[in-house]
Amino acid sequence: MKAFTIDVSICNGCRNCQIACKDEHVDNDWRPYAAKEPEIGAFWIKVEEKTRGQVPWVRVAYTPVLCSHCTDAPCVAACSYGAFERRDDGFLILSPEKCQGCGSCVPACPSHAIYFNDELNIAQKCTGCAHLLDNGWTEPRCVDVCPTSALKLIDIPDEGAIPEGAEVLPGLEGAQPHAFYFNLPKRFIAGTAVDPDEREVIIGATVSISSARDGAVLEMKTDEFGDFKFDQIEPDVYALSIVAPGFEAVSMEVDVTEIDRSVGDIFMSAVA
Amino acid sequence: MRIKDKSVVQNFSFSGFAGGTNVGRVDVMDGKVVRIRPLHYDEQYTREDLNGWQFKKGDHVFDPGFKTFLPPFAYGYKKRAYSPNRVPYPLKRVDWDPKGERNPQNRGKSKYVRISWDEAAQLIADEIVRIHENYTPAAILCCGEGHGQTKTVAGGHGCMTMMFDHIGGYTCQARQPDSWEGWYWGAKHMWGMDPVGQNTSQLNSFKDITENGDAVLYWGADPETTPWGWSGQQASRLCYWFNEIGILSIFICPDVNYAGAVHADKWIPVLPNTDAALQLAIAYTWITEGTLDKEYLDTHTLGYEYLEEYVLGKVDGIAKTPEWAAEKCGVPDYRIKALARYWARHAVSIAHCNGGGYIRSCFSHEPARLEVCLLAMQGLGKPGATQFKFIEWNLFGDTNTPLPPSEVIPESAGGWHGWMMQPPKEPFIPKTLTPKAILGELPIKWYSRVTACLPTADQAGQYQFPPVGMEDCDGIHMIWTDTPCWETCWNGGNLYQDALRSEKMELIVAQHPWLENDCLLADIILPVTTTFEDLDFSVDHQNGQWYGIYYEEPSIEPIGEAKSDYRAVAEVCKKLEAYGGKYEGLYEKYTKGRTEEEDVQLAFEKSGIDTSRYDYADFKEREFHLFPTRKDWENDPPHLSEFRADPENHKMASPSGLIEIFSTTIDSIWPDDPERRPYPQWIEESDEHHERMSSDRAKDYPLLCVSNHPRWRVHAQCDDIPWLREIETCKVVGPDGYGYEPIWINPKDAEKYGLADGDIAKLYNERGAVLGGIIITERIMPGAIYQDHGARVDSIVMGYGEGLDRGGANNLICPNATTSTNAPGEVTNGFLVAVEKVDVEALAKQYPEAFAKPFDPAYGQVAYSKIIEEAC
Repeated sequence: MKAFTIDVSICNGCRNCQIACKDEHVDNDWRPYAAKEPEIGAFWIKVEEKTRGQVPWVRVAYTPVLCSHCTDAPCVAACSYGAFERRDDGFLILSPEKCQGCGSCVPACPSHAIYFNDELNIAQKCTGCAHLLDNGWTEPRCVDVCPTSALKLIDIPDEGAIPEGAEVLPGLEGAQPHAFYFNLPKRFIAGTAVDPDEREVIIGATVSISSARDGAVLEMKTDEFGDFKFDQIEPDVYALSIVAPGFEAVSMEVDVTEIDRSVGDIFMSAVA
Repeated sequence: MRIKDKSVVQNFSFSGFAGGTNVGRVDVMDGKVVRIRPLHYDEQYTREDLNGWQFKKGDHVFDPGFKTFLPPFAYGYKKRAYSPNRVPYPLKRVDWDPKGERNPQNRGKSKYVRISWDEAAQLIADEIVRIHENYTPAAILCCGEGHGQTKTVAGGHGCMTMMFDHIGGYTCQARQPDSWEGWYWGAKHMWGMDPVGQNTSQLNSFKDITENGDAVLYWGADPETTPWGWSGQQASRLCYWFNEIGILSIFICPDVNYAGAVHADKWIPVLPNTDAALQLAIAYTWITEGTLDKEYLDTHTLGYEYLEEYVLGKVDGIAKTPEWAAEKCGVPDYRIKALARYWARHAVSIAHCNGGGYIRSCFSHEPARLEVCLLAMQGLGKPGATQFKFIEWNLFGDTNTPLPPSEVIPESAGGWHGWMMQPPKEPFIPKTLTPKAILGELPIKWYSRVTACLPTADQAGQYQFPPVGMEDCDGIHMIWTDTPCWETCWNGGNLYQDALRSEKMELIVAQHPWLENDCLLADIILPVTTTFEDLDFSVDHQNGQWYGIYYEEPSIEPIGEAKSDYRAVAEVCKKLEAYGGKYEGLYEKYTKGRTEEEDVQLAFEKSGIDTSRYDYADFKEREFHLFPTRKDWENDPPHLSEFRADPENHKMASPSGLIEIFSTTIDSIWPDDPERRPYPQWIEESDEHHERMSSDRAKDYPLLCVSNHPRWRVHAQCDDIPWLREIETCKVVGPDGYGYEPIWINPKDAEKYGLADGDIAKLYNERGAVLGGIIITERIMPGAIYQDHGARVDSIVMGYGEGLDRGGANNLICPNATTSTNAPGEVTNGFLVAVEKVDVEALAKQYPEAFAKPFDPAYGQVAYSKIIEEAC
């Protein structure tokens, strides 16, 4: 059984996967696997992009999203025409011949990985490049063109087994998907401790964050730049405190439920 | 199922100048490109065949990989072959009549009519003869020095110069070192490092940093963008390698560039072109805290004391303290001190990728020189501390690669058709001065023969146009360009538009695959092939893996009436021959009587391959040949370690053999140049440049524009690939459905200037305005505004001052003045602009003609909108 693994921590956002997928499918007709994809607007694999944080703590998270070829797929359940076909290697084909264009599979996919082709009046999606795999290729286009091996095709022995440390895309938890994600971004809190009187960063200050939800505490020391960064923390409201000898302790609430936060340069007052 | 009929190899390099790289396989079916994919070296080779190498640290291993790591441009490139923006056949501007009115004022406005190759070649030949009779060969300016598709035999830019060489010559548009301006005009005077002024002793830098480095400063460097068109994505893999083994990655730039977006441990935002202030404050911290390598400075440098006195304020009464710098560069004083102290305590290297505001702004020689000073102050050449590059590996010889070198650096010169980047013969004009040479009072004067790769000493020569002894030349009357992107790539395209629309200009010929940019100022346009359509030979010596030579069979038939660049010029040669006299036998002289296949074979034989072991027929059959990594590469002393250990016997290529912090060359030739003193300084403004926050102009134009090398183009190339254009950071679709070039603005500034996400706005200054689509983002610091350079020009109004461009080609509004008075480099970054929301509907009413021009929502501008159909 084939499955994709996607390590987003080494996705550089180059879009090779997205472009090569179009190179394969836009101007080429691979029926019975897939009919031509529209010129633009459909993304059988799409790199989602999100800018995280605020100046000067800013990173961009890229997440390639494609059909997870779920064993218990909501799209298949939504289809009244039996247009989906399961291959022996596990890839799920949306047959361009059998699709009747009702469109009900499109909203059924929690990953939004199915696109409707208005011109052909059919729904379309990733085929795992099955037409290539059936003709001597060992991996689909998106995997072949990924420069960092963020995208891989692996063999999984057991149906539904999730590789250690992997996650699946939201909404697919019960669907036995065949696309496993590693290092999906959570949240970060970052900032710098500063002595405004001496105009110096404060090195070695103790910074802690305490989760409002479960009270769990994480602690670190500011580095040689006076910086601290708590990375891959759960979305939550945290009580942040900075303690440094000779300075009044600083406490603040930091809400990273929705977004990552730079708390900026925290000016600490010397103890009177 | 049939998935291809055949497969050929082809390079997807966008450098031009025969610099291959980015080699892929093109699968063809039914005469069309069906797909483009990486080349897997294991088609023919094993790692053992190629003396495979790795880097190791602990349990971590970096392997160079065994397939090519192409950029997205390659995988989308068939869209360029079949683009609706291809020049379909030869074109003539409808109101250009060589026997009557030439209507130069209508260039850029008038449409084109179809003509035959025969007519086009005859018209050009007739005009050349007329210009030779009425003026002088120097009246013809050849522009054949641009980046573009990388061709060798099929014509790698400048084929027309091969023709003109046989019929009395031409004036050469000489490309200045546009990728390396600050290094070239500044750092070279300190440490030599010919040809371009960046460290050319880079051997084993990656291995050394892997083993001994603590941090890399990506100073204005974006390894996830700039190397793409040159050497693909090995740079990305190496950045991840540094991340993986815990090398601290610090990005110092105004923007979170695409490498910073995924690799930065720290981002230190610095206002555009204020790096010199930051550098001086770092030096101040080291000097006052005694954390510099005094002994090294004594033995390895010259004139350090001048810099120290200047930094401490003994020269101008201003100590270059972190507080002083913070005000100029936007980095808080405490962070400057922290950075300086970290640097002094650790093994820190600086990485570059060319381009960006750091090295292409006014006075760019100052940050370049100050960087060399800082490196020297911390004992440059010690383990883990050097300057190295993520691009141009091996471009300037085998010590220039920071990666394991190849046994052979292959060459393509044997089959090269085009202009070589060599010292130009007079007459020539620096590319930065082309508008001035056309519009200004002659003669114009400058220093240096400017082409990018000349020795430092060349900068001392003074030249002029027309040259002394060529008084019969009264200026330029004809231009022939196969590099038609001056407007969107050089310094102040609005003035260039004025120059090309002047009465003096009697004929402009453009030769290009696509109807874009300067083509639209031409009178005759010749359609040329894409690399898919050519038989060619290419070399790859920049991929950071294994270097090779390639036989490039055409994958498809020429599109429309396109001919290769080489053949396009040959058509004119044939027509000129008929004039006899000096034109007699021109075609034979131009082709040397050889076919393209024979030239490919010649290129193979002179490539560096051992022809006693490998023959051409076999090469052609196998399509490529790779060269192994040099044996015992691990033993090469890393980067500048030998200079550090023994400066007497491993001298810098400066007059003294030392790092000349006080440049004896600058002191002897330009002792009183206020913009480029013998040792580097902070230059606030000059007579010609007022591009600071402190400048009076900043009252009207309060933001500093970052105009980087584009992520989704290679300079001006690939702007019509629909699969790139639909990426959210590539274009912002306006209410009119037009894809506008993004403008990044910080939320604070967006609020200040009343801008919302998706607004269409104009960036402007007194030189003109360009439009763009607003993206409010934390990826740009307040005070700076960002728009990539190189978008396709789409003029609403043309010319200096009045110019308004819909495409967002911000080079149109860059400063026209060069780097500094005596340094004729380009200033295309870090210049002042204002931003203002526009009402697209109102603009469309104001300029109905421009806005009525059809465009394709997927491709943008299209050729048919500029061709009069009924005439076809």
